[in-house]
Amino acid sequence: MLRYILKRILSALLVLFFVSLITFVVISVIPGDRAILALGIDATKESVEALRSSMGLDKPFFERYFSWLISALHFDLGVSDVYGERVGSLILSRLPVTFSLTLFSIFIASVLSALLALLCQMKKGKGLDGAIRGGVILISALPSFWISLVALIFFCGKLKWFPVNGYISPDKGFLPFLRSITLPSIILALGELSLLTRMFRSSLINSFNEDYMTACKVKGLGRVRSMVHYGLRSAIIAPITLIGNQAAKLFGGTVVVETIFSLPGIGRLLLVAVEQHDIPLLEGVVLFITTMVVVMNFLTDIFVAIADPLIRQSEGGVK
Amino acid sequence: MKKKNFSLILGVFFVAIIIFLFLLSFVYLPYSEDQMDTKNRFSPPSSSHLLGTDQFGRDIFSRILVSTRSALAVSTSSVLMGTVFGLLLGALAALSPHFIESILMRFVDAMMAFPGILSAMVLSAVLGKGVMNASIAIAFFMVPVFARLSYSMILESKKKEYIKAAKSYGASTPRLFIFHMLPEMFTRLITQLSSSIGAAILTESSLSFLGLGIQPPGASLGLMLSEAKGYILIQPYQALWPGVILSIAVLGFSLLGDGINEIIKGEPDYE
Repeated sequence: MLRYILKRILSALLVLFFVSLITFVVISVIPGDRAILALGIDATKESVEALRSSMGLDKPFFERYFSWLISALHFDLGVSDVYGERVGSLILSRLPVTFSLTLFSIFIASVLSALLALLCQMKKGKGLDGAIRGGVILISALPSFWISLVALIFFCGKLKWFPVNGYISPDKGFLPFLRSITLPSIILALGELSLLTRMFRSSLINSFNEDYMTACKVKGLGRVRSMVHYGLRSAIIAPITLIGNQAAKLFGGTVVVETIFSLPGIGRLLLVAVEQHDIPLLEGVVLFITTMVVVMNFLTDIFVAIADPLIRQSEGGVK
Repeated sequence: MKKKNFSLILGVFFVAIIIFLFLLSFVYLPYSEDQMDTKNRFSPPSSSHLLGTDQFGRDIFSRILVSTRSALAVSTSSVLMGTVFGLLLGALAALSPHFIESILMRFVDAMMAFPGILSAMVLSAVLGKGVMNASIAIAFFMVPVFARLSYSMILESKKKEYIKAAKSYGASTPRLFIFHMLPEMFTRLITQLSSSIGAAILTESSLSFLGLGIQPPGASLGLMLSEAKGYILIQPYQALWPGVILSIAVLGFSLLGDGINEIIKGEPDYE
């Protein structure tokens, strides 16, 4: 077990190294000279050169990369050109919005798809099964920004159930906070529904076909007891990996919904950085999101390894 | 019992609608997509404007027709680029010595860690806005998907007898890949291609929606929805049709992928 964890840590570190390298290389080829951008086109050549060297832009590529990486390891991501604040504190101030959005929507998606899959399993091969499977594919294919617009018209415009704009932080009251993120979370959850329901369904069906389920019946165990103690328990492991991976993906994909519902999250920060060519902010946000993705996937793998005796014994059969 | 392949039927039907609109845009375009008619802003559907007009009095139907061009052009070109580079990367990893293989696959994992919309946004900052750049930006996140696919398929086929046989006859690695492995990979590639085109259409429209893809006065479904957003509470119908067409496109290609998959594999999770 320990060997498996160590192996996973090593490979996660290697992935993180590549992630930082890709981030830095890609962003470093953004056109435009930051020194000229800061000083204006009328600046003298000497002052531009002076600023360039004080920003470290005249150093060779790898020297710049490693000094950036080393300060990033000390949680120092530099100062944003647009906001004039530290990138790290900007990200931290936006994190609660995106984080609660991700958590809330993956929770909704998991519960809903588990219930739907259980329904499918019980009515396997019948009309309801097909209807649910078709329905979730349809719902998940709808573009999130279009559903958001329709939801805005309907729930915020016509019915006035939810506020049209803005985010209310939890310290101004938990219920208003919940109300402000419910609609966007549901919309994000809908996009995950199809994949998760399919996964839950097939793993439920597989696990209910196992020999030990027959053994339960032979032993005279009650239907509910054998379902909960044996069927569900082994059926939950495969979807957990998927839930973890999808949560990680969601975390980096909230920008569109954040934009529509005017939520001040990390996605919005990213959009500003892209539009304004704010290099330190862009590097910081991209590195942060991708690191979070890698870490979340890593934790999921470890969690699954602990939960699943088969993987535990084979010292990580999955590569 | 023979089950009808609903995914395939619906998928073909939806994709046919999109391709029909795409072809129609070259043959019959009621108005030019950027022709403004300020007297008729926000006009409801009528015989002269089939789906009404937008905030500049431009014909919504014509703009939808033209949008299918950029949607299909961007999605197919980005998926093709992603396929070629992904296949090569995956093949390179699978056919290399173990050390290089694991390094390359960690690199693919790293690319995978960039959520689709994130890498597309960052690359649009690097390359600038526009159709061609949007394609390249979207291709970037298609690469790891196809790399993993080709990697796992090659590992599978390496174990097969006829590959071992060909190898024992002295076939070179490129020859093994092109003549013996690629044909077998073809069907699964097609499945992935079709679903990826759906995902690419969605990403293109998201980029345009955020103002980073197709630029005004050009027409894109995402751009139309973003323009409609400003008037959503007074003119909700402007957002209706671009969204419907976009959903049909995304759904069509992903159903088509599912349908083809069903033909090839049967339904493995069914029993």
